[in-house]
Order: sequence, then structure tokens, then C-alpha cells
Amino acid sequence: MNSKPLHTLTLAATLLIPAMMTAQVDRSKAPKPGPAPEVQLGKHETFTLPNGMRVIVVEDHKAPIISAQVRFDIPPILQGDRVGYKDLVGEMLTSGTARHTKEQFDERVDGLGAQVSASSNGIYATSLTDKFKDVMDLVYEVVASATFPSEEFDKAKTRLASQVQARSDDPDQIGEVVGQALTYGKGHPYGEVTTMASLEKVDRKQAYQYYRYFFRPERGYLVLVGDITPAKGREMAEHYFGNWKGAELAVTKDEQGHDVVKDLGPIIPAGKQPRLPHEVRVAFVDRPGSAQSVIRVVFPVELKPNDPAALQAQVLNTILGGGVFNARLMQNLREDKGYTYGAYSTLTSDRWCGSFGAGCSVRNEVTDSAAAEIMKELHRIRDDKVTADELALAKSYMAGSFARSLEDPRTVARFALNTYLNDLPKDYYATYLKQLDAITADEIQQAAQRFLHPDSCTVLVVGDKEQVAKNLKGLSPKGNVIDFDANGDIVRFDPTEGATPAPKGMTAQDVLDAYIKAIGGKAAVQKVGNARLRYGTTVQGMAATLEERFQQPNKYGMEMKVGDMLLQRIKYDGGEKAKVESFMGDKELVGVDLEEMQQSAYLFPELRYPELEYSARLLGIVDINGKKAYRVNVKTLPGGSFDEYYDVATGLKVRRKDFQSQDGGGYVQVITDYGDYRAVDGVLFPFSLHQSGGMEMTLTAKEILVNKGIDAAVFSVE
Amino acid sequence: MKAFIPLSVFTMATITATAQTRQIKFTEYDLPNGLHVILHEDHSTPIVAVGVMYHVGSKDEARDRRGFAHFFEHLLFEGSDNIGRGEFAKYVEKAGGVLNANTTGDRTYYYEVLPSNQLELGLWLESERMMHAKVDTKGIETQREVVKEERRQRYENQPYGSILPEVLSRAYTKHPYQWPTIGYMEDLNAATEKDYQRFYRTFYVPNNAVLVLAGDFDPKQAKDQLAKYFGPIPKGAEVPRNSVVEPPLKGEVRDVVYDKIQLPAVVQAYRIPALGTPDFYAVDMLNRLLSNGNSSRLVRNVKEAEQKAVFVGSFSLPFEDPGLAIAFAVANMGVDPDSLEASMNRQFERVRNEPVPEAELAKLKVQIETEHAMENTRMAGIANNLANAYTFLGGTDKVNTEVEHYLAVTADDLQRAARKYFMPENRVVLHYLPQAKKN
Repeated sequence: MNSKPLHTLTLAATLLIPAMMTAQVDRSKAPKPGPAPEVQLGKHETFTLPNGMRVIVVEDHKAPIISAQVRFDIPPILQGDRVGYKDLVGEMLTSGTARHTKEQFDERVDGLGAQVSASSNGIYATSLTDKFKDVMDLVYEVVASATFPSEEFDKAKTRLASQVQARSDDPDQIGEVVGQALTYGKGHPYGEVTTMASLEKVDRKQAYQYYRYFFRPERGYLVLVGDITPAKGREMAEHYFGNWKGAELAVTKDEQGHDVVKDLGPIIPAGKQPRLPHEVRVAFVDRPGSAQSVIRVVFPVELKPNDPAALQAQVLNTILGGGVFNARLMQNLREDKGYTYGAYSTLTSDRWCGSFGAGCSVRNEVTDSAAAEIMKELHRIRDDKVTADELALAKSYMAGSFARSLEDPRTVARFALNTYLNDLPKDYYATYLKQLDAITADEIQQAAQRFLHPDSCTVLVVGDKEQVAKNLKGLSPKGNVIDFDANGDIVRFDPTEGATPAPKGMTAQDVLDAYIKAIGGKAAVQKVGNARLRYGTTVQGMAATLEERFQQPNKYGMEMKVGDMLLQRIKYDGGEKAKVESFMGDKELVGVDLEEMQQSAYLFPELRYPELEYSARLLGIVDINGKKAYRVNVKTLPGGSFDEYYDVATGLKVRRKDFQSQDGGGYVQVITDYGDYRAVDGVLFPFSLHQSGGMEMTLTAKEILVNKGIDAAVFSVE
Repeated sequence: MKAFIPLSVFTMATITATAQTRQIKFTEYDLPNGLHVILHEDHSTPIVAVGVMYHVGSKDEARDRRGFAHFFEHLLFEGSDNIGRGEFAKYVEKAGGVLNANTTGDRTYYYEVLPSNQLELGLWLESERMMHAKVDTKGIETQREVVKEERRQRYENQPYGSILPEVLSRAYTKHPYQWPTIGYMEDLNAATEKDYQRFYRTFYVPNNAVLVLAGDFDPKQAKDQLAKYFGPIPKGAEVPRNSVVEPPLKGEVRDVVYDKIQLPAVVQAYRIPALGTPDFYAVDMLNRLLSNGNSSRLVRNVKEAEQKAVFVGSFSLPFEDPGLAIAFAVANMGVDPDSLEASMNRQFERVRNEPVPEAELAKLKVQIETEHAMENTRMAGIANNLANAYTFLGGTDKVNTEVEHYLAVTADDLQRAARKYFMPENRVVLHYLPQAKKN
């Protein structure tokens, strides 16, 4: 190496001098790139075994490594009150097979130097080439003969319970879990949350039957990648899975046509697309003493992977907050304001339900400002076109990521698998760069308007309630912050709201008595045998009338009309029959809805709390619209609760705060404010009612008639 | 067109495990200003990784400027004489690349992965960073807040997030490893203009750095461009090195930390030898024996058989000066930390008292070979490993030969190392308890 002829050296030296001189490069601007390299998509082979199992093989000899993935195409299904059994499927797969106990299996995996991981939809394993045959033995064993031993199941379940408990200490995990519950609702498989209570109902058989039902060749894909030829891959696939049939399992059908599996029950897939909230909903999970607030803005999105706008949606998200440093959220919240270490967004396509999430962790003082900035960015990218510069950067970045991802031979296999699973056009990845390049700023704006819903989203904050919650009210049009617990369930009772204590010795009953006295006294109130209350209001900009009829003790009728057109009629016979009629059809009320009806059918329920088995507690004095009011929390059966507020000076009820169940799952907090009390036959009625939270509505009484008689047909349900 | 046929013949024909590990080919040289350059060519994907490792970390900080090296890393994305605030990342992303950096106790590493036709851009950016980085007041104040948020997010607002700072402050009394890389708020607040200038002038000099290119490039052209962009950067003065030697612990340090948690945790931190020393390999092997895989001793016994933990792990902090091996376990429901620790201790006693059986040693070795084969498959990882081998392992070729040090470890070595380092008097033990238990 050192014995180069002298003349070459001097030649090199002379060449070097001018090079050094011209090394006065123009540092003031970035150098121009060379010609763009061609990005080559690697090859893969696919074929289908006679039993329906698809096989994908990608050959790449860069490293003496082979990986195998067995993946089953499984739709999300509802776990119901046993949510959590699915979490255990993955761990149980590697906890014992027909040939190995868990301990033996673990020894074998580690002895081969292999890495094996399993989840509820399959197994992944990788090892050195010369160990791979032995590793495939294990993969096959797991897929075809996992035994889910009871003893291992119990251990795994205890550990899962510990993790569920620990989850409520971790603000990121809380944000994740509660964010999902609020995005999809708990009635959707993606919104279900494993809790200590649900785990009590989880048993081994559910997990085992789930595995036996779904792990079948016709749902299966075997993906082999690395130091293996397609011929060898085929030989292995046939050897291991060629004759595999899946478990023998008795399956029946229920009335809805769902498969019913013994010990597991009906296989209920995801229902319709979850609804968006009516308006911006601010949700809070209290974690006292938090050093930061975790903010997540979430909503469901109708976006399937094979949607023609799916790639546009990805570019949109890259510009908004999808991983690049120059994304708007990062630039605004980190680089301009210094609020956070990082702010990101995701816009995920999914065969069953897509979703959006944007978020960051910020110091307590700037929680409301940071949330407001995220909302601002969501609006801005819908309202204005992105700049040419931003679009170019996002496209380059995504093209670069595409090229970089091809470093890993597993990427090509993933592309092939995605194409099958998501029913993508066959040339989706081959034309990816071309399609990406063609996307315009107009298309990005259209995608933003179609996929982003800043006016009907959930803003979730996990943090120190005392320090940050009150500043968040401004984000909600009605000024509501709804409390949730770490499992994504609404906290129906908020003991911290009572700012000052009530006078010593005073009870809720005193407040209720004062109210009855204020509206005319017990005798006058009890004389009201029936009442007709007619209100004027507006529905979607049109004048409407709402008429309520009460017959003691608890018959109820309601009619709402625009002109002569009936919008809704409610009839309740005071017993077990209630019906809602509307232009959309009739519906008998059952279950929770009937219970809610039964509870709201009384004209003056305050007289009957003991009879109804309600328990009322006086929580203190709070400020309502500038006036002091007693806050009374009323617990109803089973498990329900609402708050009432009574003016300290007048004794009159000024507000009720309730939670109403929503069609799409979850609850919404409804606030009703009462005012303009006027006497009718010696009893004060509120002539003005304002409801907010769910559907916003102002009711103004036009006529209130007491003891004028009501046609019984109004209450009768046929 | 890759010649995969001979390669596959090679892998089929050889059965000894060592032959399966892939050699990373490289060339290396110094620029006249002392910048060390390592080139690794691989044309399989049209990308190139550009990495620069500066031999400066939190152990080089003044005692009243803890966290400065990492803070400074943030500032070095702000710009230069020729790059305005915020443009650094813009150039890279607009070119279709990614960039990032990270800081440890010992070094600071910056990298870009770019499409191969953008190599020159990467060289320009890194040379600007080394030659005349610039930062304005807005940049300093913003990044100060950003770093504070990073600290809150990673350390203060995470359950068990304070483990590293709590361990380090008790495991070291003299050596600057006693503070975490993220530093402390009060010191970040105290940093001034003079600190930035001095730090940059002292440590961000070519003779304190190694630059690695890995990927799809023409080495001749790359060398020309390297000379062009980095040649004009003047050599710095000799770089001062921290020479503090931490005295032995001389007795167990034991403490309780209260956190916003429900499940208690046990942390044991054992003082271990420096990275690259013969005993380090033995200690690192012991850590794998204890917690690498489901059949490892802590996992099998503490978690599975005795059901004391939901999680248990042990790992080495690979420091240039003597570091730590940390074992960490989170208690299963209803398990108290004393009984969890007793269960962990039984496994440490076992490695001290009984030689590791041959079969188990063989298992460790095949695990190490597999990891090694999987490790160097991406350009970004190769660049980092090459820089690391050059800076800390005593030579770039260690990237290929490091695995042999592990394979040479014997059962005797393991037991000797266990008896020397995994001793009660050589450790810090922390019990993490729920805050509710404080009173």
C-alpha cells in the first residue's frame, strides 16, 4: 500500500492543489443534488396452498437470517363484558403446545437464538439460517397445537391485571386507552377497554376458542423473508402447512346470523361507523401532581386503506403532524412556542374504522394554549390550501421514506401482505411514487375537509385537574369539561366542584324543602293533579312548539311539532310501557331508556326522592351565572347520578346537570338552566329553560295550564 | 446485480456459527485537521447515511452546567453562518431524508439518512455544523423550554421515570456520571453565551470527531467532497478529558423512592468495568444470562415460576469509564418489594455460587451470534456502530471482532465476574413505593 511509485504521488499532489484551491466552495447555498436514483421494488413470490393458506416469499441473502410470519386475517370482534381475553391470546400461544410445556418451549426458542413473538392474530419468528428449520417446527406447533394450559393462563391473567392496575399511573397509556374509548365508543371493538372488573369474567376457554375459531388456513398467510430461495420456501410451506386443517369446532348460528362458538358466544363484528361527537367535547382524566398534561385530539374517520384518497390523507397528515420535523404541529408547538418536546398527529386508514389523533405532552401552564393551537392547526389546514413548499417537502419526505423502507427485505413482504389484506390495487406499491408525485394542494384541502373534523372531536387531557382543567372550558362551546376515569368511563360525580362548604348542619333535604316552599309550599304543589306546559322553541332554525303533559303521579306525554308536522311524540303510561313516535318511525322504550323515562316522568320529583330511593347529598355552595347556589348531588338506582343547583337567596332551582346516554355509545353531559319563574295557580314554574351539552335548545313557556284535565289517550301506549 | 449465488453457497456450505456473521467492510483515514473518516460502501439501496460522532457527553460538563452537552445538541440544529434558523431540518426533509441526534454520558451523535444523490447536501450540513454553527436568542430560549419539556416527559411524568437519575446520584460520588444526560432545570437556566462559545470551541473540533458514510456512494467522489467541505475547518486544541476516577462503592447503598405508582419496583445497580475491557464482556454476558429471553434466569424464576414480577430485566450501561449493570423489576399485584428483591437476590447468588452449565453458555453464544448477524443490516445502524467502535472500542475493526470477545467468555470468567461485580457491597438498591405509603 505504501509502495506507490513516486510519480503517481506527485501527480496526485498536483491534482490535489487545484482541488484544494477550488475547495473554496460556495458555502452560502446548499449543493445541488445529483440525478435522482431509481428506486427498485424487490421481488416476491406468492402462491396458495390447497387448504387456502397464502404464502409470500422474499429472497434476500444480505444477512444469514430468515424470518417467518404467520398472520391470520381476523376482523375486530366485540369482547363484551369479558373484554381482556383477547389480550391474553398472544401470550398463551407461546405458553404450551402439544409437544412442549411453556418452560420447554422457552428453552428451545432461546437455545436456537431465535426471536419469537405472538399476538392475537399470529406469530413472528426469526433466526440464523442454519437454525431456521428448527424454528419453523416451533412456529407450526404454535399455530396448529397451542394448548393454552390453565396454570399458565392464570399466571398471565394475574400479570395482565397488574398491568391494568399500573396503566392508571401512566399518563401516556391513559391517553391511549381513554382516547380509543372516546374515539370509537365502548360499543365498538376498538373502543373496548380491559378493566379489573372485566378481567374477573375472563376465562381460559374464551381465549382458547378464539384461537381455535380464527386460526384457520383459509384466513392464513405465511410470510418467509431472507436467506431462503422461493423453491425452499415452497417446500417449507408445503411441509408444515400443506395438510393443516385448523381445529374442529362446532359452530352454530344465532338469530342475527352470527356464528356462535361454544364457550365463547356469538362472534359479533364491528358495527357501523362510530358517530362523531355533536360538537367539541372536552374530556379530562385527573392525575393529581402531574408535571405535564397529555393532550390528545381524537375522532373516528371514514377511511379505508383502499380509498382513492388514502395516499392524499397520508400527505395531508405529513404536513400537519406526521413525523417530519417541519410539520405544522411540530413547528408551531415546539419550534415557535417551546410548549413541548414533540407534537404529532396520525391519520390512520383501517378496513373497519379509521381514526385521527393529534397530541403532545406540555407543561401545566400552557395546557389550554397548546390544545387551542392544535385546534387552530386543524382548522387552518381545512380552510387554506397548503403551500407549494410544504407539499413538496411532504412528498419528498414520503418518497424518501419509501426508498429507505426498502432497505429491509421484510418491507416487500409487508407490501404484498397489505395488498391482500386491504384489497389494494395490484400495482399500488409499484406506482406509489408516481401517485405520490401527482398529488396537488387542492386534493390536500379536499382531503382535509373530508377527513378532519375539528368541530366535532374530543379533546382529551390527562393531567392535574386542579391546575389545568378550568382553563380548558373555553375549548368547549358550552364551557363543559367532562370527567373520565382511567378506564374511559365517565365520572358522574365530581366532588371537587363545591368551592365553599355549606353552612354547618345544613342538609340536602333542607335545600329541597326550601325549594318547595319557594315555589308555593307543599300544599299548593300537591294540589297540582295535572298540568299542560306549552313551549316555543326553534329546531334547525324553524319555529317549533313543544307541549308536555303531566298526570300525577307519573304519567307523561310530549309532542314536538314544526307547524303541523310532528317531529316527536312520547307517551308513557306510568308503568312499564313507553313509546317514542316520530317521522322516522316508532320505538318502544326498553332497558336504560325506559328507566330514564320512568325517572323523568314526575312533575315535582323533589317531593318524592325518598319514595324513588334517591339519595341526595349537599356538596357545598358554587357560583352559577354569578349567583351563589347550593349544589345537591342525587344518586339514583342503579349507579346513576345527577346534580341540581338551588339559588341560595331565592331557593329556586337554577340548574340541573345530567348525563344522557348517546346512540353511538358513551355519555354526554347535559346542562339545563331554569329561569323566569312565574306563578300559575299559586305554584311557580320556570318559563325559560335552556339546555346545552347534547342538543342545544331554549324553551320559552307560552302557556301553562294546571288542573284543566288531560285526555287519557295522550298517555296510553297500545 | 448482486452476486447472491456465491453468497448463498457460502452460507449453505458453512455450519460453524461464526462463519455466519457478516463482515462490515470499510476504509478509514484522517483529514489533515484530524477529522477521522470511515467509509462503508453498500449499493443495495440508493440511500446514504452520514453520521458524525463528537467525543463529548455529559461527563465533560462543568458541575454547575449539568445537562449542557445535550442542550447544546439541540442548539446545533438551529443553524450556521449559512443556514438560517429552522432551515437545517428543512434541507434534509425536503431532500427526502431524515435526521436526528442523541447524547450520552460519553458522546454526541448526529446523523442524516439521505437519498444517495443528496450526499453532498449531508456533507455541507455537517460541515456547517462543525465549522460555524450559529444560534440566536429565540433559538436558545425556545430550545431551553423544549429540553425542559423533554425532561418532564421522559423523567418526571412517567411512572418509574426517575430511576436513572436516582440511581446515578447514589452510584457515583466523584465522577460526572452522577448526573443524568438530561441534566437539571436550574443548570439549564444558568447557561450563558460564554458557555456556548467555550463548549463549541473546545469539543466541536474535527480532531474530536469521527465522520462515517454508509451506503450508496462513490468513494472517490465522496473523498473529494469530504476534503472540500471539511478540509477548511481548522484543527482545534487538544481536547481535555475527564480524569476523575470514581472510588469503589465500599458497601451497599440502599434507599426508598416514592413515586406516583401502585406497583412497587426494585432496582439494583451494580458498579461494573468500562466498555471494551475484558470483564465488561463477561458482565454483559451475565446480564443476558439473567434476562435475555423467557428462559433467562430472572424471567424464568422471578416472573414465571415465583410470580413475583410483571416485568424484570437487567442490562449494562456501556460507559467509557466504569459504568453500571442495572436490574429492574416491577412487582406483581400484592407482592411486596422485600419478597421481590429476595427472589432477585437468589438469582444473583446462583451466578456467584454455581458455574454456568455448558448448555446455558452455548445458548448465550448463539443468541449473541444471532443478534450480531441481525444488527448490521441497515445503513443508519452500521454508521453508528462504526463510529462507536472507532471512538470507544479501540478501533473501527471492532465492529467485526467485538462478537469474538463475547464468544471467548468461559463459564469461569462468568463466575469470576459475578463474584467480583455482582456483590451486595458493590450495589445501589432502590425500592420504589407508592406515594400513598409515604406516611
